[in-house]
Amino acid sequence: MEGLLTEVFLGSLLFGAVTAGVPLLLSGLGEQISEKAGVLNIGIEGMMLMGAYAGFAGAYYTDSFTLGFLIGGLAGVMAAAVMVVLCVLLSMNQIVVGIAITLGGEGLTALLHHFQFSRSYPRLGRPETLPVPWLSDLPIVGSAFFDRNPLVYAAVLLTVALVWVFKRTHVGLNLQAAGDKPAALDAAGVSVTLTRSLAVLSTGLLSGLGGAYLSTIGGGLFLPFMTGGAGFIAIVLAMLARGKPMWVLFGAFMFGGSLSMTTAMQVAGVNIPTDVIQMLPFAMVILVLIIFARNSYLPPALGNPYHRGAR
Amino acid sequence: MVLAVLQVPSFGSEEIEEARVTRSRTKFGTLVSGLVLGTCVAWSAGAAEVETIAILTPEQGTDYGWNQQGVDAAREVAEKYGLELIPAEGLGYGDVRPALREIAEDGADLMIAHASGYNTAAPEIAAETGVPVAIVDLPDDMKPGLVADYTLSGHEGSYLAGIMAARMTRTGTVGIVVSGEPPSWNSQSAGFALGVRAQDPDVKIIYAVIGPAAYGDAAGGRRVTESVIAAGADIIFGQGNGSSFGMIQAVETTKAVDGGKAWFIDVIGDKSELDQGHLLSSVVWDLVPVYSAMVEDLKADKFGTVGYKIQLADDSVRILKTDHIPAEVWDSVMAIRDDIVSGKTKVDRISDAQEVRSLMTSVESQE
Repeated sequence: MEGLLTEVFLGSLLFGAVTAGVPLLLSGLGEQISEKAGVLNIGIEGMMLMGAYAGFAGAYYTDSFTLGFLIGGLAGVMAAAVMVVLCVLLSMNQIVVGIAITLGGEGLTALLHHFQFSRSYPRLGRPETLPVPWLSDLPIVGSAFFDRNPLVYAAVLLTVALVWVFKRTHVGLNLQAAGDKPAALDAAGVSVTLTRSLAVLSTGLLSGLGGAYLSTIGGGLFLPFMTGGAGFIAIVLAMLARGKPMWVLFGAFMFGGSLSMTTAMQVAGVNIPTDVIQMLPFAMVILVLIIFARNSYLPPALGNPYHRGAR
Repeated sequence: MVLAVLQVPSFGSEEIEEARVTRSRTKFGTLVSGLVLGTCVAWSAGAAEVETIAILTPEQGTDYGWNQQGVDAAREVAEKYGLELIPAEGLGYGDVRPALREIAEDGADLMIAHASGYNTAAPEIAAETGVPVAIVDLPDDMKPGLVADYTLSGHEGSYLAGIMAARMTRTGTVGIVVSGEPPSWNSQSAGFALGVRAQDPDVKIIYAVIGPAAYGDAAGGRRVTESVIAAGADIIFGQGNGSSFGMIQAVETTKAVDGGKAWFIDVIGDKSELDQGHLLSSVVWDLVPVYSAMVEDLKADKFGTVGYKIQLADDSVRILKTDHIPAEVWDSVMAIRDDIVSGKTKVDRISDAQEVRSLMTSVESQE
C-alpha cells in the first residue's frame, strides 16, 4: 500500500477523476439551463452520444481536438433542435421525446460506427494541453488540474459564468421566469418560446461537448453506447444542484473522484468484494440525494408546454 | 421435427421387415413387434434435423473479441454443415426475450445465446417455444434436448500469458484490468496470476475492475489502465470487450514508470491488424469446435446432456505469437504449453471472484 502512494500514482488518480468529471459537468450544466427554463430534457444521453460520435469523427478526420469539440457540440445542437421543434414549438410530451432522442442517438451512432469504424477502430493520440505556468509544475495536482485541454478550463469558467448569468443578468431572470411563471414572462413582452428554445439548444451544445470530450479525451475512440448512462447521471446532478451551477461542479467531480477512489482501493488491495467497491460512486450520489433532495427546487412549470392564454 | 420422424425408419425399418417375414407367427408376436416399432419411432422422433442456427450477441460482431469470435464461429459452422445462419448482433444487455421469440418463429433449430446476461431469458424462451438454446457459464442449468451450456475459459492459455508476462516485465509489476467479473473473465485472471506466480513469485500483480459490467466503457478502461500503469505495471492483461480498446489506448499513450513502453496482452480475439506496436500477445479462442459439437449433439439427440469447453489440446485456445516476443521466451512458453497438453502441468480453473482476488499480490499483502 505504502509503495503505491507515489506522486505518479496519486497524480494519475486525480487526473482520472477530472477526466471522468468533465463530461458530467458540461452535460449537467446544460441540463440545468434547460430545467431552469421549464424543459425537462431526458434526451441528454442521446445528445451526448451524438456529440461523442461527431466529436471523435471530427477530431479524427481533421486531426484537431478543437475542431472535434466544435463538431461534437454542433451535433448536440442538432439533436436538441429536434426537441425544440417537438417539445417547445409543437408542445409534445417532453419525457417521451427525450426518450426518443436517447434511443435515436444510440441507434444512429451505433449504426454509423458499424459502417465507419467497426473494422478499423481508429484511436486518437494524446490530447493537446495548455499548461498553466507555475501551477502545472506542482507535484500531484499539477498535471491533474493545470496541464489540461483548454476545454477543461472552459468548463470550470463556464460554471462561474453561469452563476453570474443566473444571478445578475436579464437572461438569467428570463430563464427563471420561463420555468417558474412563463405567463408572467410572456406578459413582460419576452418570448417564452424563444427563451426555451435557446435554453434547449444550449443544453444540446453542452451535452454535445461533454460527449465529444468523453470520446476524444476520455476514451480516445468512439464505441456504441459508450456514455453508459452518463447523461442520466448528469440529469440527477442537475436536479440535486437546485439551480446552482457550483453544485453541479461539485457533484460532477465528486462522482469522478469516487470512480478514481474505486480504482485506488482495488490497486491498493483493499480486501473487500469488488462489487462493494464499485458501488461507491452510486452510493455517494444516493447519499447526497437523501441529504439534499428534500430541499431540491424544481421550477413549477418544468415539463409543461406553454400555451399563451391557457389557464 | 416432422422430417425427423419420417427419417427414422433407418432404425425402425428393420423391425418392419422382421414383421413382414413373421406373418405366420402369433398375434402376440405381432403385437410385440408393433410395440417395439412404436417405441423406436417415438424415441427417434426426438432426434432433430438441424437446418437453421442462430446466434445472439450483445454487441456487433466486429469487436475483435467475444462477440466477433462467436459470430465468426457460428458462420463457419453454418457453412461447414450447410445450415442457414440467423445472426442477431448488437442486442444489448437488456431483455432479449422478444428477439429470442422472433428468431424461434423464424425457424431456428438452435439459438446460441452468446452472453451470460441472456442466461435467464434464453432457457425461458426455450421452454416456451421448444427451440433448444445454448447458454454460457451455467453448467447446472442444462436440460436434455433443450438447454446446453458452454462455459468458456481460456485459463490454460492465460496461464501461458502469465508466464510470458513474468518473464518480460521490466518493472517487476504486471496488471490485470477487467470490465467485469463473469466466470470466463475470472478463470482467465486466475490463470494469468497463477502463471505469473509459477514463473516468478516476486512479480507483483495488480488487479482492477473497471465497473460492474463495464464491457463497453472505453473511457473507464483507459482511466483504470492508466492508473494501473502509474502504479508500476508495464504489462497489462486486459479483458474487456469494447472497453479493451480503451485499455489499448492507455497502453499506447502512457509510458511505464521506468519510462519504457507499456505492453498489452489481449484475450479472445486477435487484434494484430489494429496494433500500433504495443500488442504483446493474446489468448485467442476458437469456438468452431464448440458450436460444431452442439450441432452434432443436436442431430444425435444428445444436446443438453454434456457441456462444452475450450482447451489448449485442440487449439480452441491458443496464445498469439507476435514479433514483440523474444524467441527464448516463446520457446519456454511453448514448452509449458506442451506440459499442460500432456497433463504434466495442471492449471486449476478458478472462477470465484473472491478466490481470484486472493491470488493477487496486492490483496495477499493485506492479509
